[in-house]
Amino acid sequence: MRIVIVGAGAVGTHLAKMLSAENENVVLLDENEEKIGRMESLFDLQAVVGDPTKISSLKAAGADDADLFVAVTPDESRNITSCILAHYLGAKKTVARIDNYEYLMPKHKEHFVSLGIDSLIYPEQLAAEEIATNMKFSWMRQMLEFGGGSLVMIGVKVRSNAQIINIPFKELSRDIPYHVVALQRGDETIIPRGNDVIMPDDLVCFMTTYDQISYIRSITGKDEFSEVRNVIIMGGSRIAVRTTKMMPENIKVKIIESDLKRCHKLLELVDDRVMVINGDARDPELLRSEGIDDTDVFIALGDSSETNILACLAAKRAGVFRSVSEIENIDYISMAESLDIGSVINKKKLAASTIFQMMLKTDVASVKCLTFIEAVVVEFPVNRECYITRRAVKDLGLPDGANIGGLIRGGKGMKVTGNTMIQVGDHVIFFCLEHVLKKLEKYFR
Amino acid sequence: MFHPKVIFRIIGMLLFLEAAFLSSSVAVALYYGENVVPALLYSIAAMVGVGALLVCKCRNAGRDVSRKDGYIVVTITWIIFSLFGALPYMLSGAIPGFTDAYFETMSGFTTTGATILNDIEAMPKSLLFWRAMTHWVGGLGIVFFTVAVFPIFGLGDIHLFAAESVGPMRAKLHPRISVTARWILTIYLGLTVIAAVSFFFAGMGWFDSVCHSMATVSTGGFSTKQESIAGFHSPLIEYVTALFMFLGGVNLSLQYMFIFKLRPKELIRDTEFRVYVTIILCFTVAIFFGLFFTTGLGVEESFRSSLFQVVSVQTTTGYATANYVLWKPILWLMLCALMFIGACSGSTSGAMKCTRITILCKVMMNEFKRIVHPNAVIPVRMAGKVVPVGVQSAILAYTVIYIFMLVCGIVVNMGFGIDFLSSFGLSVSFVGNVGPALGNYGPMDSLAALPAGVKWFSAFQMLVGRLEFFAVLLLLTPIFWKKR
Repeated sequence: MRIVIVGAGAVGTHLAKMLSAENENVVLLDENEEKIGRMESLFDLQAVVGDPTKISSLKAAGADDADLFVAVTPDESRNITSCILAHYLGAKKTVARIDNYEYLMPKHKEHFVSLGIDSLIYPEQLAAEEIATNMKFSWMRQMLEFGGGSLVMIGVKVRSNAQIINIPFKELSRDIPYHVVALQRGDETIIPRGNDVIMPDDLVCFMTTYDQISYIRSITGKDEFSEVRNVIIMGGSRIAVRTTKMMPENIKVKIIESDLKRCHKLLELVDDRVMVINGDARDPELLRSEGIDDTDVFIALGDSSETNILACLAAKRAGVFRSVSEIENIDYISMAESLDIGSVINKKKLAASTIFQMMLKTDVASVKCLTFIEAVVVEFPVNRECYITRRAVKDLGLPDGANIGGLIRGGKGMKVTGNTMIQVGDHVIFFCLEHVLKKLEKYFR
Repeated sequence: MFHPKVIFRIIGMLLFLEAAFLSSSVAVALYYGENVVPALLYSIAAMVGVGALLVCKCRNAGRDVSRKDGYIVVTITWIIFSLFGALPYMLSGAIPGFTDAYFETMSGFTTTGATILNDIEAMPKSLLFWRAMTHWVGGLGIVFFTVAVFPIFGLGDIHLFAAESVGPMRAKLHPRISVTARWILTIYLGLTVIAAVSFFFAGMGWFDSVCHSMATVSTGGFSTKQESIAGFHSPLIEYVTALFMFLGGVNLSLQYMFIFKLRPKELIRDTEFRVYVTIILCFTVAIFFGLFFTTGLGVEESFRSSLFQVVSVQTTTGYATANYVLWKPILWLMLCALMFIGACSGSTSGAMKCTRITILCKVMMNEFKRIVHPNAVIPVRMAGKVVPVGVQSAILAYTVIYIFMLVCGIVVNMGFGIDFLSSFGLSVSFVGNVGPALGNYGPMDSLAALPAGVKWFSAFQMLVGRLEFFAVLLLLTPIFWKKR
C-alpha cells in the first residue's frame, strides 16, 4: 500500500514510523527539511520536502497514485486543501486532521466527501471524549464502547484488595459475566490461558456488557472511589477546551495556564462553569491556594510529556487521588504506568486508530487503540459466509496475540466460548496486538 | 483635522430637515384654524434662511467627514436644533421667555419630558404637536434620522453615527450603516403607528393618540394634559401606555431581530433584556406591596400604579398617573434608583442603561472572586461573550463621569437656593433624561419656578446625558483641539 503522510509533527511522524514498521510504502511530506531529513535515515520511508498545498510537491510525493493520503499538519485549512488537491490528482482515500467540532457533524459529512475528503480526524476531540468518560468512571483506566454500548472493554489496574487475584482462570466459574482479554504486567502483555492468574498491580482488560460495569467495579475492589466533582486541568491546550465541553455538567473545572495571553483567549472558548487561572500548575503553593485538597482529578495536558508526568506526581503528593496525563512520548507510557500516574492520553494513538481503519480492506465498524498496551480492539461485522462462520471458535486457529473478546448478536452483547459458532450478521470484537491486525482480515474473506 | 465648511454645510442641511418637521405643525394649525400659523411660518423661514445661507456659503466643501468633525457636528446640531426649535414657542407668545422656550425644546429633543408649562390644555394644538414631534425626532437621534432618510453625508456617515449613538457594544444589522439605520427607523415608525392606533382604540382622541404615541415610543414624556396620563382617568390607557413605554425601552435592533428575522431566542438569551425585565418585575412587585399596605388603594389600583410608575421611570419616559412624591420615602427612593438605571442600550431611553449596570455588577463581583483566587483570570460575560477589558474600563469611566455630572448638578441647584432633595432629584432626572424629579418638583409640579441658571444648567445636563457624555464633553477637552 502506498501511503502519503503530510506534516511531520507528532502525529505524522508516529504514523510514519508505525506504518513503515508494518512494511507499507510510506512517503512523508513536509516543508521543513530539518524535521524530516532525519526520519529518512532512521526509518524505512521516503521523505519529500515541499509545500503540501502545491500540486507540484504533491506529485513529487506521489499523491497521484497513493492508496491513502493523510494530512496531519497543525493547520486544518492546509490539511483540507491538500486533501482536495490529492483527491483531484488521484489519491484513493484521503484523511484530513481538523480542529473544528462543527466539521464532524454528520450533516456535513456528505459535503466533505464530495470535496474529496473521505475521513476527518480530530485527535483533540477523541482525547477529550476519552477524558470525559474517565471522569464518569474514574476508577478505570480506559473504557471503550462497541456496538453502541452493547459491549464495553474496560481497563482496570487491580490492587491487592481485589477478589479475583491469584485464582487461575480455569477455576473461575464458567458463567462469570465477563471475559478477560489481556493482562499487562510490567512490560509484558499476556493473553490469558487457563493456568494464568491475575496478580496485584496487573492492568486487566475486561470485556463485558454495559450493565455489568458495577459488578466489575466490585470484584476489582474499586467501590471506595467517590464521584468526581472538582477537576483541575493543567495547560489550556485545545484538548483542555474540548474536554471542558465534553465534561458532565456537574463537574467544576479549573484550568491553570501559564501564558496570560492564552488565558484571555481561553475565556472566549470556555463557558462560565470553567475558571481560568494564570500560573504554573507545578507550583505546590498555587495548587494549595486553588484547593488541590478538594480536587478529585488532576489532568495534565501541557505541551511536554515530562512536565505532565512531573505535575501529576506533584498533584498526587498534594493529595489528589486520581490523575490523568497527556503523554505524547510513547516510550514514556510504560514508565508513567510504573509511576502510577493513572490514565494516559495519547493523541497519536487516537489518530492512529482512524488510520488503521482506513488501511484495512475489509469493512470494520471501528478500531480503537488502547493507550496502556500496544494493542487495538476492532469491531468486525460479519457480512457474509466466510472462514470464521464455518468453524467453532476453538478450531479457528487464531494467530498468537489475537483473542475474541465477545460478539454482538441482534444488538445484544454475548460472551464467546470455545464452542461458539459465529453467524452471519454478528459483530465480532477482536482484541489483538497492533502487528497482528492485518492477519485477521483473511478470516473475513 | 477639522473641516469647518463641511460642518456648517451639514448643519445647514439639517436645518432644512427641521423645517420639514415643523411644517407638519403648520398643517395641524391650519386644520384646527389656530392663529399661530404666522409664528410657525416665520420660524420655518428662519430655519430655511439660515440653512440656505450655510449651504450656499459652504457648497464647495468636500464630502469627507472626519471623526472629529462627527463629534462637533453632533453636539452643535443638538444645540442649534433646540435654538431654532424654540422659535415657534417664542414667536407665538405661548412661552414668551427665551430661557423657558429653550429649556422646553431641549427637554423635548433629549426626550426628557420635563416641562415649564402650567396650563398645557390652553396651549395651541399645533405647538403641542411640535412638542411631541421634538420627542419623536430626538428619540432616535437627530443625526440618526438623517442618516436613515437621506444618505447625504457620503463617506462620513459612520463617524456621525458613531458620535451620536455610543452604546457600550453595538452590533450592526446590515453591512451598510444607512441600511441599518433605515431598518431601525422602520421598527420605530411601526411602533409609533401601532401605538397611535392602540391609544385611539383605548379611548383617546386622534390628536391625543398621535401626540402620545410619539412621546411614548420615544420614551419622552410630554403629555397633552396637565395631569399627564392621569388626566385620562382610564386604566386601559394606562396599561397601553405602560406597554409601549416598555417596548420603547427595548433595544431596537433586538426588536428587529425578533420581528423580521423571527429569532425570538435571541431576545430571550440577551442578558440585558433579561436584566431589564427582571428589574421591572422586582420593582413593580416591591412597590405594589408598599402601596397596598401604606395607602388605601385596592389590589388592582396598587398594581397598576406601581407598574406604570416603574416602567415610566425606568424607561426614562416620565409620564405619571400618581404623584409619587406623596408616597412613603422608600417607595420614591426606589423610583429614584430606577431613574439612575434606565432601560436597554440601543433603545430610545436614557440614563445608565441595563448593560452598563450589569457589566458594572459583574466587574464588582469579579473583584471579590479575585481576592479568593488571586491568580484567576476572570472574564465578564454578556450573553456568553467575553466583554473586552477596554469596554469594561470605558464603562467605569462612563460611570465616573455620570456621577460627576450628577454631583455638579446638585451643587449648581443648591447654589441657586433649592433644597437638597429637590436638587438631587432634578439632577438624577435630567442627566438620565427622565423628566419628573423628587421633593418639590415631582411629576405633578411645573418647573416654571426654577431659577434661570438652574434651567440653563439643566438643559446642559440633558444634552450631555442624551449624547452619553463623551461626545459633548470631548469638545471641552484641550486634547480634542490640539492640531496633532
